[in-house]
Amino acid sequence: MLRLVERPPIFHFNEQRADLVRAVVDRVVAEARDPIFLLNDAAYHEIRRLELAGKPDEVTRWRKLARMLGGLDKERATEILREKATWYCEDVNGNFDRRVYAFASRVLPAGMSVFLRPNVVTERGPLEILRGDAMADRIVTSGAIAHIRKLTEVGTVVYVPTHLSNLDSPVFAYALQAAGLPPVTYGAGKNLFTNPVLSFFMRNLGAYRIDRRLRFELYKHVLKAYSCILIERGFHSLFFPGGTRSRSGGVERKLKLGLAGTGLEAFIRTSQAKPRKVFFVPATINYMLTLEAETLIDDWLSEQGKARYIIEDDESTRLDRMTAIARKLAQMEESCAVRFGQPLDPFGNEVDDRGVSHDARGREVDPSTYVERDGKPVLDHVRDGQYTRELGEEVMKHYLKDTIAMPTHVVATAAFALLRKRMPSADLFSLVRRREEVVVPWQDFVDEIDRTQRKLVDLENRESIVLSSAVRGATPTELLADAERALNGYHSHAILRTRETGVALLDPKVLLYYQNRLAAHGVAWHGGIAR
Amino acid sequence: MNGNGKGKASRPRLSVVGGGAWGVALSTAAASAGTEVLLYSRRELELRSGMVRTDDLAMIADHARTILLAVPTTHVRELARELGDHLDGHHVLVHGIRGLVPRPSSDPSFDGEELATISAVLREETPARRFGALGGPVLTEELAAGAPSVMAVASHYPEVIEEIRNTLGGANLRIYPSDDLIGLEWASALVSILAIAMGFARGAGVGAGLVAGFATRGVHECARVGVAAGAVERTFLGLAGFGDLLAAMSQLNRPEVRLGHALASGESMESALAKIGQRIEAVELAPRVAAFAARHKVVAPILSTVAHGIVAGHPVDDLVNALMTQPISGNA
Repeated sequence: MLRLVERPPIFHFNEQRADLVRAVVDRVVAEARDPIFLLNDAAYHEIRRLELAGKPDEVTRWRKLARMLGGLDKERATEILREKATWYCEDVNGNFDRRVYAFASRVLPAGMSVFLRPNVVTERGPLEILRGDAMADRIVTSGAIAHIRKLTEVGTVVYVPTHLSNLDSPVFAYALQAAGLPPVTYGAGKNLFTNPVLSFFMRNLGAYRIDRRLRFELYKHVLKAYSCILIERGFHSLFFPGGTRSRSGGVERKLKLGLAGTGLEAFIRTSQAKPRKVFFVPATINYMLTLEAETLIDDWLSEQGKARYIIEDDESTRLDRMTAIARKLAQMEESCAVRFGQPLDPFGNEVDDRGVSHDARGREVDPSTYVERDGKPVLDHVRDGQYTRELGEEVMKHYLKDTIAMPTHVVATAAFALLRKRMPSADLFSLVRRREEVVVPWQDFVDEIDRTQRKLVDLENRESIVLSSAVRGATPTELLADAERALNGYHSHAILRTRETGVALLDPKVLLYYQNRLAAHGVAWHGGIAR
Repeated sequence: MNGNGKGKASRPRLSVVGGGAWGVALSTAAASAGTEVLLYSRRELELRSGMVRTDDLAMIADHARTILLAVPTTHVRELARELGDHLDGHHVLVHGIRGLVPRPSSDPSFDGEELATISAVLREETPARRFGALGGPVLTEELAAGAPSVMAVASHYPEVIEEIRNTLGGANLRIYPSDDLIGLEWASALVSILAIAMGFARGAGVGAGLVAGFATRGVHECARVGVAAGAVERTFLGLAGFGDLLAAMSQLNRPEVRLGHALASGESMESALAKIGQRIEAVELAPRVAAFAARHKVVAPILSTVAHGIVAGHPVDDLVNALMTQPISGNA
């Protein structure tokens, strides 16, 4: 199963750990225009945070520092800045253990179930896990895999996938392995490290820690320099450029790119000395069922409606849900599909498998010419920010093309269309508040699925979407049965149910979540979703 | 030594593509500002000092980093494709073209025709990434004569704006910046449609107060349409929108104004266009913009009247009556 290229750069990560911290700190300190401002800003934010966290000793230390800042000369301030930057960088710094990687590779797909079913480890012990689980076989990879594999040998690959679930990082890490692509380093929220199993694997498989509570400039500089230097040194990286999981279930229509933008900076910095190519790979992670669907759509609706919509708290415990989804996904063909898109250079040009950029007309173009001034590559934050925004727009176009439509998306789209036909004047909130009220004649439902499926086939023929094999080859009746089987039994209650009188639409809210995946394609209703 | 950013130039350099009156006027303004101008034109031209003509696009690309395009909308794609063979990522493309280009939709949710800005066409046809557009109330004849003028330049890249100010701006040409590239491009194109309506209103003998009313509501309509295309509303209320329209209203020989005037006087489209002696892009653009507005559910009665009433030769009284009986929505 595993066809890794020789000696991926991350295998040498630990040899560079200490030097990495030194390089990050050197850069942060060298580029700090006003060390006293950075320390003041950090002190202000840290005192507020630590007070709330009830850590009086640390508050006292920061207060003491804040008081003495006014009387410091630049040299001493720089020294303190170096200490603080080192401390934060050590906290961020990741790790890669080849033994853990070998173990994870050997026991996969069982290893995958560890991510999905952490309670199994504590309840049954590791031997149970090693027996394997069908779950990971259900993750299907497709797209420009061979192309990307070649690029990993000539430059640094930065993956920028869609983001739906907290399972995305481990699922993507697995998908890389399954596709024979080298492992990546990625930033993960510090909160995810609280789960001991997840933490063990993430900590040893190249994840570095991002503490989202720290919002001051010094920390941002450390993170940015860290991720930039990783890319400069050839560590293939993973970023979720949408920032947070998609609340609506829809494909991201706005991207800030955030830390992924350091890919361009890394390209320019290496162009100044020892050129290293940087490639961005858009990718989509597509689920038949999303672990957090109910919570996310609640979040989205409350954001859309402000006071008009009140979240109903009917969540079960997280571990129960994770077990349930693992079991459910394991029963289904292609329940999760990762698709790797066409690789791009930092300016949105397509890249061939030799790493050569081509403009939209297919002409070869040297990417360094975009950043040269008087013949030399230079950093320009305003210009580079705009290049990065435009790259984000290109990435989003690829998200649409590489979205994989699953049976749950198709059936939810048909269900929501019928619901809207039944209540044509109802707004979003009136529609989703309905429960146990609408029963659609079975034939009407099947006809609507048929219409939806035809539209999708047409889109796929125009290379504007990809259909999962379960959608492409199935009859509308089979699609309905497939989706019904998937949706009922995992979520906290049934979502739609075939009865003698027709198909009952039991939870429009969850149906909305799944249909939203096809909204930007113009197939599903786009009420409230940016297109 | 060349001025393409790879060496030091003693004087700023600018390449201009388009030997029509507008291209020559822009070249003249740049030369007056002390810029070395290389002008691309297939036909011979009489040029003042500081300007040289070429019919070789490779020389245009080599002469300067910044290339100004002043060609008809209908030629821009073909020309950009040809020019693109000589460009790389360091080039900056700025255009002074008032138009939008129809093309098949790239939006999977819409299987029809969409309107692309000129900068989007340049993005599709060349390897360049840094684009800008010129707009505003500057008039070709005044610019060519060196009369004091005002124009706007928009780009997402401040360095592009700087470059245009350095090569084109001077004592007699004030250039105001904007970061709303889409807004400036849509405003320039839509004002040319409104200019037909203004000429038509004058030709129909509509009172000055009502003309001003239509002009103001027309700009608001254009702003709504522009916002649907991704523009910023205030751009339409500035030089590239209102400013340009005010210039059109006072310029009776502007082709769009002449066309509107002739149609109001009962002349046929063919005859009016023959007398004006040039193609008017706004005639074909108007129905496309009206369709765009309808698809995006933007209320645009004045633009629709140009598209389906004026251009189609409907009677003046019917059109004025239709506009006067539109439901009133929005604020004054």
